[in-house]
Amino acid sequence: MRAVEHGTSDRRRWVPTAVWIERGEEESSLARRVRGRLPDSPVCIVEDPRVAEPQTFADGKRRLVIQRRRGSFLQHCPAGITGMVCCNYLVMNFASNCPFDCSYCFLQDYLANNPALKAFTNVGDGLAELDDVLRAHPERTFRVGTGELADSLALDHLTDLSCELVPFFAERRNALLELKTKSDDVDNLLGLDPKGRVVVAWSLNARAITAAEEPGTATLDERIRAAARVQAAGYLIGVHFDPLVAHEGWEAGYQEVIAALFRTVDPRRVAWVSLGSLRMTSTLKMAMRARRHGIQLLGSELVPGVDGKERVWRGLRVKMYRRMLEWLRQVDAQMPLYICMEPAGVWNTVFGAAPADREVAQRLVAARQ
Amino acid sequence: MRRNAIARWPPPMHDSVTEAVLRAFAAERRYGGATVDRWLALAPGDGTALFALARELRLGDNQLCDLWEWAEEIAARDGVSLAHVLEMEPVMAARRRALARNDKLKHVKTVLRRLRFPQLAAVEDRLQALVRELGLPDTVRVTLPEFLEGDVIRIEIVAGSAAALRAAAAGLLAATRSPTCAAIFDALTEAP
Repeated sequence: MRAVEHGTSDRRRWVPTAVWIERGEEESSLARRVRGRLPDSPVCIVEDPRVAEPQTFADGKRRLVIQRRRGSFLQHCPAGITGMVCCNYLVMNFASNCPFDCSYCFLQDYLANNPALKAFTNVGDGLAELDDVLRAHPERTFRVGTGELADSLALDHLTDLSCELVPFFAERRNALLELKTKSDDVDNLLGLDPKGRVVVAWSLNARAITAAEEPGTATLDERIRAAARVQAAGYLIGVHFDPLVAHEGWEAGYQEVIAALFRTVDPRRVAWVSLGSLRMTSTLKMAMRARRHGIQLLGSELVPGVDGKERVWRGLRVKMYRRMLEWLRQVDAQMPLYICMEPAGVWNTVFGAAPADREVAQRLVAARQ
Repeated sequence: MRRNAIARWPPPMHDSVTEAVLRAFAAERRYGGATVDRWLALAPGDGTALFALARELRLGDNQLCDLWEWAEEIAARDGVSLAHVLEMEPVMAARRRALARNDKLKHVKTVLRRLRFPQLAAVEDRLQALVRELGLPDTVRVTLPEFLEGDVIRIEIVAGSAAALRAAAAGLLAATRSPTCAAIFDALTEAP
């Protein structure tokens, strides 16, 4: 990863080897901003952005494609499938793919046919689309995230996307934005007022997993420091212990992360914590094998579940969730917690009850209001 | 005359398999192109070991891929070659057993599964031991969820008469009152 100087953080930021821009978008504010930040990067203007698609997934992470998004920006979280308890999460896709290269990332499979790292210019169209939904359902409060097909903040030093999103959500009474990241690129956020409508969330893992399986991301300590900074700036933070990996020494590893996190951040200003077990599809495993990525994870004892995804066997997942719950409740008995992509039976065992559809979202939204 | 699957089937090859031999075998077994390409990309020793297994057990494409995937995952986890896994003593012992082809395939699969999922296999062994401890009549069968991915067990009673059903139900009822029964559900619910 090449280094570039932006913002006040000392962390090295991602810089593409080249920028490809769809013709007609050269003068978009996004393209001008990126070119201004990367004066030395080669720029290629293309008629059809599909020609910018790289040969390999790895190549896709080295270049940046700036183009219009043609489809809908707003989607329901794909985790909400039959048999699993759903948290009614909405996803806004302002970018596609991620400069980080986590070995277990589902994008290796999901974006296998269009792996170019894209940032979309027509952000206003996406916000208008969302605004229509929010206005149509004033009685509901929506949790909306931008970290599904991309890391929410990994490109922020180039795009300033957060400077458009935070003011938009700050003015909406029935939506919460979640910026989900493994970076510490929070400089833009510090000067904005979220008015309680923005949660900045970090995916955290045991140090051994972060070091071995999450290349390019901020270290655990960098993420925690960034979380403390945004909390001090008035944001709620979120934490995702996802994927929990049943590695040797996992109990000590995850306990240590929880301790390190709450030595630095205020648990009362945590909007939610999610727990999710490592899960893989057979096609993701094939992609990982082909890239020789996550070799140790591929050797984990993952067994097929009702949704076709493989996870560690249920009794071990339950044990991991219960331990995490116990350690987190010791920090704050009121901490809002949920588990991701698990059937009602696992919720019952871990929490003593399985929530009805929409109930998870309502609880999480109400928890720290 | 039906061919004897055990006696006449050739022993594992030790020489490197040529591409032509492998392609001919794959065509005979109707393996997909992707399988063959993947196979040809293996290190020669691994390719030969896999060929020996496929030939010995006359594996279909899906059967081959299932065993191959587990063996490859064991190899990756343990930092050994695919050939090493396929020639480990428990696997070779299963391959040497004088069984009909389908039974031998099942046996090899069971052995590889245990090597692939040692912790899960240990829990399954413990659960099976607890089920035996219940002392259920022979007419009552307990089935655990596949890969223990569930929190319910299935009970099957086979009875040819009202008296036999009463006897089986009485045995089952007695078993439900034992602490062992609770221990089964505890073991199923959460890892030790």
